[in-house]
Amino acid sequence: MTNALTVAQWNGNFLVGIWMKAFFTLVFVLLSSSSFATEQAEQLFNQLKPSLYQIKLIDKASGEKSSIGSGFQISKDGIIATNYHVISSYALHPKKYRIEYFDSDGNTGLLALQSVDVINDLALVKREVDPVSSDDITFFQLSSAAPHKGEKLFSLGNPHDLGMIVVPGTYNGLKKESFNQRIHFTGSINSGMSGGPVVNKQAEVVGINVATSGNSIGFLVPHDKLVSLYQTFLQAPPESIEHQMTAQLTANQNKLMTAVLNSPWQAKALGNHGVIPIIDVPFIRCWGDSNADKTDALILTAVANCSLDENTYLSSRFFTSTMDIEFRYMQAKDIGANKFYHLYQQQIAHAGSGNRAGKNNVTQYQCHHDLVMPDNQMINNKSVFCTRAYKKFPDLFDVLYLSASIDKNKQALVSHFTIAGINQENALAFTRKFMEAVSWN
Amino acid sequence: MELVKEEFVTEEMGARELVIEEISRNHKLLHRHKFDKASINIGRDYHNDIIIADPHICPSHISIDFINEQWQITDNQSVNGTFVENPKEKKREANQHIVRDGDVITLGKSQLRLLFSDHAVEPTVAFSPFESFINFLRNPIALFISIACFTLVAGSIIYFNKPIEVNFSQLLVPAIGMALGFSLWPAGVALISHLTKHDARLMAQLGVSFALFNLMWFSDILKTIVTFNSSSNNILPIFVTLTSIILAFSLFWLNSYIGFHMSSKRRLVVSTSLTVLLFGGSYLIQYSKKPEFDPRPHYNASIMMPSFLLTKSSKVDEFIKDSSKLFDRTKKEALTE
Repeated sequence: MTNALTVAQWNGNFLVGIWMKAFFTLVFVLLSSSSFATEQAEQLFNQLKPSLYQIKLIDKASGEKSSIGSGFQISKDGIIATNYHVISSYALHPKKYRIEYFDSDGNTGLLALQSVDVINDLALVKREVDPVSSDDITFFQLSSAAPHKGEKLFSLGNPHDLGMIVVPGTYNGLKKESFNQRIHFTGSINSGMSGGPVVNKQAEVVGINVATSGNSIGFLVPHDKLVSLYQTFLQAPPESIEHQMTAQLTANQNKLMTAVLNSPWQAKALGNHGVIPIIDVPFIRCWGDSNADKTDALILTAVANCSLDENTYLSSRFFTSTMDIEFRYMQAKDIGANKFYHLYQQQIAHAGSGNRAGKNNVTQYQCHHDLVMPDNQMINNKSVFCTRAYKKFPDLFDVLYLSASIDKNKQALVSHFTIAGINQENALAFTRKFMEAVSWN
Repeated sequence: MELVKEEFVTEEMGARELVIEEISRNHKLLHRHKFDKASINIGRDYHNDIIIADPHICPSHISIDFINEQWQITDNQSVNGTFVENPKEKKREANQHIVRDGDVITLGKSQLRLLFSDHAVEPTVAFSPFESFINFLRNPIALFISIACFTLVAGSIIYFNKPIEVNFSQLLVPAIGMALGFSLWPAGVALISHLTKHDARLMAQLGVSFALFNLMWFSDILKTIVTFNSSSNNILPIFVTLTSIILAFSLFWLNSYIGFHMSSKRRLVVSTSLTVLLFGGSYLIQYSKKPEFDPRPHYNASIMMPSFLLTKSSKVDEFIKDSSKLFDRTKKEALTE
């Protein structure tokens, strides 16, 4: 998200320039357009208010709410759409919590979890509807087409438990370089608005509030993800939410790893003699750094870091579907090989996992280490492979690989990756390809 | 022949001698007296044969007399009495007691052990090969070399692990500090043996301890080389760990050999307990610090410069095959919890 922030600052400077040039014109234009927008928003809000809900997760033991979000009804029979992360605690610990809604008339009631899409952060919950009075129930229409760039949209939700509000904003296309699509929405989305709908001027849902990166940059789940979740639910409701989540996580990592393994891996030089693979897919982005400016450093270090810029939220303490790759080239300056290797060992002694996970979610890591030379005999490494298994989602693992070259006296190449939520076959296929792609030139 | 033998026996009987040892409460020898007369007086005043400066003892406390070929104790109506103890019997009044070899009598707060001159002594202990080894190590030149070697290794370890540029004195000071710190152990042992009325033998303790400290450095380096060259399938590193346990045991054994006179069985027990205390204690400390769940992996990534590489590397296939076994293991763990 660092990138997104820099862009925002640049836009700000640009706006100041215009301000200086055409002060009065701009004031007029801004005032008129904002008053028009307010009027439109108010009208839309009043029209949609009865189908908007605040979703509360109540901790059964204490009787108090443990998380809040927003939701909106999408069918006559009481199906309400929201974010998975709003009800995630219930999905993982259904005995500990209950889900409640709170509508615009001040009514509350119980909700039942029907189906989830963890990858796109969506969930369907159901409210009991009285069949007699169901005729005058209003609900949101899902849009049939994606909005066009620059289109005015309205985000609805209940930020910080302050009451339902409407926020006007602009559609800015899909987020660039993302593996799972998100809409880039320019408008303030705050916590608590998660799961609320974003509608166009025709009051059709085009997205669902999901995340923010501050400074009016918001992210939405595209409406078609909700459409397909709802359609699948109508055809065959899931037998168990846990099985459904396992299947979705497995399918997602398969999709990701198929894309990664079948993309070109470009050999790139790192430091003076290192050769590392750069996976040529848009959703893996690389950054670099070195200590070339530090003249007193004993070791010249250059680091390249490539990672998947997104993850999957399972609970506040458990994230998955992350992927981080790091390469480190080191060269001794004025020190002997023995000292170089002592300092080098300190550098590789403390690799950690790339995703947050706790005792209830995963086992402890188990590791294997060996001296390994790929068939091309270009490099000789000390390699470590560690893995831990998921407790609730069978056949998914977090893996960690770390390899340190041991064949040059005053140069070293470290290659390291962590992948979260992957199956055995993909993990080993990736590891094999990765090991053979790192070498000296 | 007969006659000569007869005379010899009579002479032995007539010259019956009594050895009286003043001993401490834990039966350590303080003074030894040998008497060749028929009546021995013991008490606090200066007429006595044995003068004991114990305020609980009367001026003329007891006398031991040679009557009818036997030594008999007479308590001179002392204030606090006299008691006799024998390993075989309970403590009882000593008045009119016929002395047997090895009796211990208690007067006031002091103790005396009574021995006949034919009391059997322990067999002679031959100089063990350790003695010459210890003598070699306590030689000032050998001792200097050991300590210098230790300081050098300590200094180089500090040098190798400092991520910044360091000068000579920045290494020398902590290295000498480390040598001084480690010399506290042999000094402490010497002090304890001095306090327990043994020979301190500081030089021998220093020599032996530093020689073993150096061997421990060496076994550490050996261990690093072995771990560097082996995969997690290899059990050799475990055997190398055993050498450090054996070295620690040897150190404690030699420390007690030099510093204390004790039976070999007792020495074995003492040095084993110290070794168990050291390794078991450090294991317990590690175990108690271990969190219930650790999100970080624990792996062995020991690396050394290429000249220490002694084995042939595995192929990627073998590594993948070995790593694949981890999946089943962790999966099983996930199911059992």
